[in-house]
Amino acid sequence: MSAADTTPMTDTAQASDKRRLLTGLASQGAVLITVVYVLLWIIYASEQPSALSAYSIESLLNNSLPLMLAAAGQTFVVLQGGFDLSVAGIISLSNVVVAVYPVEGPFGALVNLAMVVGIGLAVGATNGFLVAYMRIQSIAATLATMIICQGIALLILKAPGGYVSEFISYELTGSLFGVVPVAAVIGAAVAVIWLAFRRTNTGIALYAVGRDAAAAELSGIDVRRARFAAFCWAGVLYGCAGYMLSAQTATGNPSAGEPFLLLCFAAVALGGTSFSGGSGGVIGSLIGAATLMLMQKVLFSTGVSSFYTGVFQGVIMILAVLFAAFVQYMSRSRGNR
Amino acid sequence: MGTGGLLSVNELAKRYGATVALQSLTMDVAPHEVHAILGENGAGKSTLVKILSGVVRANGGTMRLDGIEYIPHSIVDARRAGVSTAFQELSLLPNLTVAENLLLPNVSGGPFKMSRRGETVDAARQVLSKFNVTDIDPRSRVEDLSLAEKQRVEIVRAFSHEPRLLILDEPTAALPDTTWLFDQIRRLTETGVAILYISHRLGEVRELCQRATVLRNGVSTGTVDLEGINDDEIFRMMVGRAPEARFPGRTASIAERPVALEGRNLAAGRLHDVSFTLQQGAILGVAALEGQGQVELFRALAGLDPISGGTILVDGKPTAIASPQQAMAAGISYVPEERKIEGVFSGLSTAANVSLPKIMENSKAGFLTYAQDARAITEPAKAVELAERYFGFRMNDLSGGNQQKAVLARALMSDARCLVMFDPTRGVDVGTKQAIYNMMRAFADKGGAILVYSSELAELVNLCDACLVIYGGRIAAEVPRAELSEEHLLSAAHGHVDDAPLRVAS
Amino acid sequence: MSLEQDMDTSAGVDTRAASRFGSEAITIAVIFGLTIVLILGSRFISPAFGGWGQTETILFLSSFLVFCSFGQGLVILVRGLDLSIASMITLGGVLTTTWLAGSNEGLWYVVPAILVVSAAIGSISGFGVTMLRIPPFIMTLAMGIIIYSLCLGYTQGTPRGYPAPALADLMRAHFLGVPAPVILLLVFVAIAVVLQSWTVLGRRLYAVGNNPIAAHVSGLSTNKLTIGAYAISAMCAGFTGIALAAYANGATLRMGDDYLLPSIAAVVVGGSSILGGKGNFLGTVGGAILLTTLGTILAALGIEQGWKTIIEGAVILVALIILRESVYEAIRVWMGRSSTG
Repeated sequence: MSAADTTPMTDTAQASDKRRLLTGLASQGAVLITVVYVLLWIIYASEQPSALSAYSIESLLNNSLPLMLAAAGQTFVVLQGGFDLSVAGIISLSNVVVAVYPVEGPFGALVNLAMVVGIGLAVGATNGFLVAYMRIQSIAATLATMIICQGIALLILKAPGGYVSEFISYELTGSLFGVVPVAAVIGAAVAVIWLAFRRTNTGIALYAVGRDAAAAELSGIDVRRARFAAFCWAGVLYGCAGYMLSAQTATGNPSAGEPFLLLCFAAVALGGTSFSGGSGGVIGSLIGAATLMLMQKVLFSTGVSSFYTGVFQGVIMILAVLFAAFVQYMSRSRGNR
Repeated sequence: MGTGGLLSVNELAKRYGATVALQSLTMDVAPHEVHAILGENGAGKSTLVKILSGVVRANGGTMRLDGIEYIPHSIVDARRAGVSTAFQELSLLPNLTVAENLLLPNVSGGPFKMSRRGETVDAARQVLSKFNVTDIDPRSRVEDLSLAEKQRVEIVRAFSHEPRLLILDEPTAALPDTTWLFDQIRRLTETGVAILYISHRLGEVRELCQRATVLRNGVSTGTVDLEGINDDEIFRMMVGRAPEARFPGRTASIAERPVALEGRNLAAGRLHDVSFTLQQGAILGVAALEGQGQVELFRALAGLDPISGGTILVDGKPTAIASPQQAMAAGISYVPEERKIEGVFSGLSTAANVSLPKIMENSKAGFLTYAQDARAITEPAKAVELAERYFGFRMNDLSGGNQQKAVLARALMSDARCLVMFDPTRGVDVGTKQAIYNMMRAFADKGGAILVYSSELAELVNLCDACLVIYGGRIAAEVPRAELSEEHLLSAAHGHVDDAPLRVAS
Repeated sequence: MSLEQDMDTSAGVDTRAASRFGSEAITIAVIFGLTIVLILGSRFISPAFGGWGQTETILFLSSFLVFCSFGQGLVILVRGLDLSIASMITLGGVLTTTWLAGSNEGLWYVVPAILVVSAAIGSISGFGVTMLRIPPFIMTLAMGIIIYSLCLGYTQGTPRGYPAPALADLMRAHFLGVPAPVILLLVFVAIAVVLQSWTVLGRRLYAVGNNPIAAHVSGLSTNKLTIGAYAISAMCAGFTGIALAAYANGATLRMGDDYLLPSIAAVVVGGSSILGGKGNFLGTVGGAILLTTLGTILAALGIEQGWKTIIEGAVILVALIILRESVYEAIRVWMGRSSTG
């Protein structure tokens, strides 16, 4: 390009830069949910000044992390255009395994981690095979694997019990050097891994397949492999969610994963990821999950009976889906000018 | 031409179940050549594109590339063999950037590598500038581009795989100015690339191409040197004389009949300012190339899409048709374009498929029995020659022709006075065609009115009392019965009436 | 290839008999056959098993699952999924015990009122799915959580009260030696089969589920019909709740949990497509009875809850794999070949 060309281009380039920035922000949805999250913090802190203490921040993060990881995993599947119910089964199974086969010490924590990652990967690969290669609808296939996982969890541990190795339950819920909560480090790590992943071929393929599988196929993308990979990633993250849940509860429960089913979809929707696939991202889901947990605290602190938490969760879930659809609609209708 | 070619295709065939998309295609393409594929809608052009680019597999015939057997298993496979395609339906991902789209499926340079925005953008910019596109920012998301820009990105992507054979499927459909494309095509062919050029714009084809292979009903009718043939001869090759169904005779005159359906200055989507009148007992045809606005017209009359302007009059009264229910209440029955998607309930029995519009009326207080169904549909089934023994079959188990008969019987079921039929004979066998012609004639003879679009011009010429030709969303010509001929319709449908000559060669 | 041609191209040479909906009938026969084999086979576990007495018990136990599976089946038929069933059963039970409070007074209006409330809630789910385009399982999952939470708040955590004695008596009554609940089951199945297969409403629901676009083109009110399916599903769940409360003589907040996943399993095992548009309620009934029989036998064998759950999941998975369209196609082609060859 000669210098003469560049002058008229910079204007349009700047304009399209701005447009791209706006589109990026809106379609990520992450920004909006961050604003909501901060607002909730302000309300919470004004209701309960002790909320800003290091301890209560740490405990809130510890509470939120399992859901954040589960929602991050779910995002992979939703992005490629499907739903993964096995999240509940994998979390229960991981939790039970960590509580029944505790291995002490830092090395033991790694062994336990390898176990849950293995479980997540195995179940995720099964889901991926059923959905991508056997062409079974994702809800139905993952419903079956969820039930089977719950059954295996019951075989390993009949009733709540067991104990989690001390390293996991103490060190992983504490703070690094007494300052930075481990939960925050893990959350940040997931965000970083995601940012790297979405730039790989598979990451880009995920968005392509979710938006238009036929066009993706014509563009040379291996659609089935991309779907398969999404379920594998999801499984591994659910395994980690079960691991961190164990760290937080320090005990095992064969139905520990059940509450995550609705909540992780709510977190994904709140994070601005569209259920029709192809738009959104993990960062939004992480903050969406944190928002949901914070909201429970806020509701509690404002004196709403805990009986009615579910009403709020359900309504927020529906509003979040409508919101994500709205963001999607806005960003697409602008495209069709 | 023989063995000197780059690509040689011999008796290529493709069937989808009972539908024959491509029966026997033979042709060869030489290096440096721009080779046109000509044919009516549904002649098999897009099937050929899909087979060559690895999207579907042929089930008969052979293809050779440089003398080596060529059977691509996927798009990537075809690209590796040196064949790349710019698709008519645009295969870009709207939610990705131009740069990412250009580099798919390998944006990052390897399975375990991360793409760096700067590198991706630079690589894409290089590709774009190599083909002289400087006004599209590689960082833009494709959904933010105009249609013409998208089309150019699609074409550049096909260029960028450095093919030996390049397939361009209707590349100018959304390009207002073709200078850029033609320059690139000339540059590429100089380096030895062969180009398969599919377009319905004969002016362009003459400007660019040396030879053309003509397709008719899935059969290649020959390869011609474009220098030595005039447009009329080409149209004749495209239309041909098929040993087809016989057309029933027409009534003497319908001039005095009252008007059943009228459109005044209708606008919807691409459609602008379309007016027509359809008399009782008349069959009014619509001829158009793909995507000229005929879909919008028919969907509006069926109540499926709203009109954005104008008035629809039924029996002379302005009538609002905002839903299929309202269309049916007004006495308009629609035979949809896509039988599989819009017409057939594949899991229900034939009887259930046909009786649907009137089940409440034919039930006993809301209760149904198979016998009632069968009795209720006897009359319309007879009108379309749908055999009674199929009534109990699941629709899935019927041939395409019988499915279409059932869809037509359903349209008759609702006691419509006006049939709006979109390509009712697409992909059906000769016997079914005959039955459909007879049914249309009988319907009109009883005073019913029919508006019919067909991609087979012979049908329009032989069945209709008059024919509208739509081009670019407007009525390009209104052809009375006396002047109906396929050549006339085809050249009008190519826009030769209003805006010929299309361009002056530079 | 040639086979396809023979079957498809021409009307003239087609000599197939009108084997109406063969695959459906086969599925139903296989399921009921399996159930009978299981019941008879259970004699080997215990001599007390395998007789009429056990069959009555199984029919009785499966009736609750049959009730709610009918609604689930209708929702799946129109390409949806109802995950609010567990909460709707709880709601039905909780309202039965609190509104009746152990007296027969008001029985005549409380039961219809519960059904109306349930249907209204179902309509809201249907509205969200159709008008707001919320994915069905999200909408019903959210609705389920909301309803459960409301039950929790309404009962302050512990449901009190009892159903009407008349209802409880009915569950224990016998007519002509047959337990009343079994008769109730038969009546329900008869009504449901007629509704789904022999009425205009049922036919239209099939059409919407089979091809929503074609249904719209053909002038059906697809949205209203879909909302109707969700309303019926919620009503069936409410009815299940009433029956369960009458049977157990009380309600608990978790009383619906055991029915949500089995209701989906019964529909899928019964040969309905999880993608919608295909299925028969008799198949679902067979699926429900089969699952209940399996559960009873596994319980008698002293098998752990974990294994029971695994088997339940595996049964769903196997059904999903077997009932795929491609497998049916393969069978069709195979049968066609054997009959022509």
